[in-house]
Amino acid sequence: MKQKKTLLTVITIFVLFALVYLADQTLDPYKMRILNLCAIYVVLGLSMNLINGFTGLFSLGHAGFMAVGAYTTAILTMPDVVKGQNFFMAPMMKPLDTAHVPFFLALLISGILAGVVGYLIGAPALRLRGDYLAIATLGFAEIIRVVFTNMQSVTNGALGLKGIPVSANIWWTFGVALVTVLVIGSLINSSYGRAFKAIREDEIAAESMGINLFKHKVLAFTIGAFFAGIGGGLLGSLLGTIDPLMFRFFLTFNVLLIIILGGMGSITGTIISAFIITIGGELLRFLDESMTIGNLVIPGISGMRMVVFSALLMIVVLFFNRGIMGTKELSWDSFFNKFSKKPLAKGGNKQ
Amino acid sequence: MRKKASVLVSALLVGALVMTGCGTKAPSTPAPGSTGSSSSGDVIKIGVFEPMTGANAAGGALEVEGIKLANKLYPEVLGKKVELVLVDNKSDKVEAASAASRLVEKEKVSAIIGSWGSSLSMAAGDIVKTAQVPTVAASATNPLVTKNNDFYFRVCFIDPFQGKVMANYAFNKLNAKKVAIVQEVSSDYSIGLAKFFTDSFKQLTGDENAIVGVSNYNTGDQDFSAQLTNLKAKNPDVIFAPGNFTESSLLIKQARQLGIKAPIIGGDTWETPEFIDIGKDAVEGAVFSTFFTSEKPITPESEKFLAEYRKEYSGKEPAAVTALGYDAYIVILDAIKRANSADSVKIKEQLATTKNFAGAAGMITLDENGDAVKDAVIKQVKNGKFAFMDIVKAK
Repeated sequence: MKQKKTLLTVITIFVLFALVYLADQTLDPYKMRILNLCAIYVVLGLSMNLINGFTGLFSLGHAGFMAVGAYTTAILTMPDVVKGQNFFMAPMMKPLDTAHVPFFLALLISGILAGVVGYLIGAPALRLRGDYLAIATLGFAEIIRVVFTNMQSVTNGALGLKGIPVSANIWWTFGVALVTVLVIGSLINSSYGRAFKAIREDEIAAESMGINLFKHKVLAFTIGAFFAGIGGGLLGSLLGTIDPLMFRFFLTFNVLLIIILGGMGSITGTIISAFIITIGGELLRFLDESMTIGNLVIPGISGMRMVVFSALLMIVVLFFNRGIMGTKELSWDSFFNKFSKKPLAKGGNKQ
Repeated sequence: MRKKASVLVSALLVGALVMTGCGTKAPSTPAPGSTGSSSSGDVIKIGVFEPMTGANAAGGALEVEGIKLANKLYPEVLGKKVELVLVDNKSDKVEAASAASRLVEKEKVSAIIGSWGSSLSMAAGDIVKTAQVPTVAASATNPLVTKNNDFYFRVCFIDPFQGKVMANYAFNKLNAKKVAIVQEVSSDYSIGLAKFFTDSFKQLTGDENAIVGVSNYNTGDQDFSAQLTNLKAKNPDVIFAPGNFTESSLLIKQARQLGIKAPIIGGDTWETPEFIDIGKDAVEGAVFSTFFTSEKPITPESEKFLAEYRKEYSGKEPAAVTALGYDAYIVILDAIKRANSADSVKIKEQLATTKNFAGAAGMITLDENGDAVKDAVIKQVKNGKFAFMDIVKAK
């Protein structure tokens, strides 16, 4: 049975990549951009879900980790000439202005740096709980942004960076998303994962069972920050330009929206809602345009799609108040169970 | 009971959604010509991507006002109807890139106007460059926007020139020898302008120490007493404080309360009613450079623009960015006319050669970077109003 499931997983992955290949061949750059964004939001959503959903730490510091990752990737991949053009205010700091690494390595370093920052922030802040933790992490994220704004010779300050090589393509984004799903998935199903969930359910009970609270919390936080850094690096590379204002609280909020809609503590849910929210936002754009019904022309109202989008979210939250998936996962087991269920006998009581 | 209510509410919302959904499906069948699809037989599409929602919505709306006005005055080119396709970029960089991509790929526009805010424009830079669609920014002043991008143009002057204008003003008109700078460190516009002012002023005075102090503040700050006390001790002749209007206005107010008598000068962002509302008497005499004045038409086109604007929006005076939005549209139209084609590469070639074109906000000549070389206007707050002072020639 286990072998069968592994085989199925491998087949699914192949099918996924066949689809990605197909998309790469047939879709226009606009649709590809949206798909890329979906995959990046999967990475970001999962990294946040690990902290907020699985470990139950209400952290709002995600934009900060993404900023660290995005800037690291940008600085490590930009060509020297472009760096020179960008830094016309103050020359770039010495070793950085000629620093270069391949894209993969740049992403990895981004993740590691973001992880280190996550550790440094998490170690003191994770002594707090609930709302206090949220405020502390939010504050730290803002600090990172303000520091980046003021480091003119490293980040080019408020002017931002332009001309970041667009290395992130559909293979990178979906590849990284897949790796993230696999890593976080196996982490959740390991003893660490069970410890995370125990902490989420009841800290005192978990501690009395011998779980080292601090160690596990910091671990979840650091790994979350690591993937957030990678996600940030991908995002910067996809856009080709970044600036500190991009990493305001709103970015954290976008990711938070994804995990709340998908279900706090569900990998499947996060993936589904990352796609729904990213694609949905673009699909609803027609609401902003002017409409013609018969002879009546309704002028377009900008922001209309956001109103409708919010209404849809409200409906989801009203009916699925734990998100689309809650804490459930789509697994091969649940899949088989669904189809092997015996039909109800006559007169059976359907629930 | 609660459940019933929630079902009712949701049903209403779904119903509303379905209705709007149906409404939009309708135009695809009737309405011949009015909503020309991607096949541009009898329409030329010009994309507009502006922040219509989010933090920069006010600026975006002003620009769109100008673009729409221009479209109303000049609805046709080469015998074809010009259709504006407006997409909202939500003041968000990720969204701005998607919006620009949508204009290029889905709407297949011939040219694009936008966006308010340099960072949003930069997000679109790579996309329009790869797709080879010429884009004209109305008021994005960050030098990086057009750098290394043959397809990005702008109809406003850029910060180096504005910095020079204000440095000249401080040196020649105010006889300043020592200047202090207060900059909004989180704004690309403010630090860019401050840097170019510094360069020009040092050159003018020949004194490396002509800038006696630089203080920073962040967007949203309310209290500037620390920065101002610091600068007061240095006793500058003039204070240069480019930045957002709210913060700048508060800053000037607090400077006067601290007894700083030195004139305070700034940049074009000050030209908003809020600047005077917040500052009241304190901002009296504040001087800044800007793109446009409604008091004194610079070109025949300005008169036309002003007349039409006042007719359309009675009781309102146009803002500089509105005039620039207007200019962005007519510059593109002029290029289409000269290219005699709606082909985007041909339009780009013609745009690049724009010379002495009479726009509403002055004569426009685009240089090799795609930046406009044009005159600057200097204004002063007088009796609670922005009063025209001088025009500084570009060359």
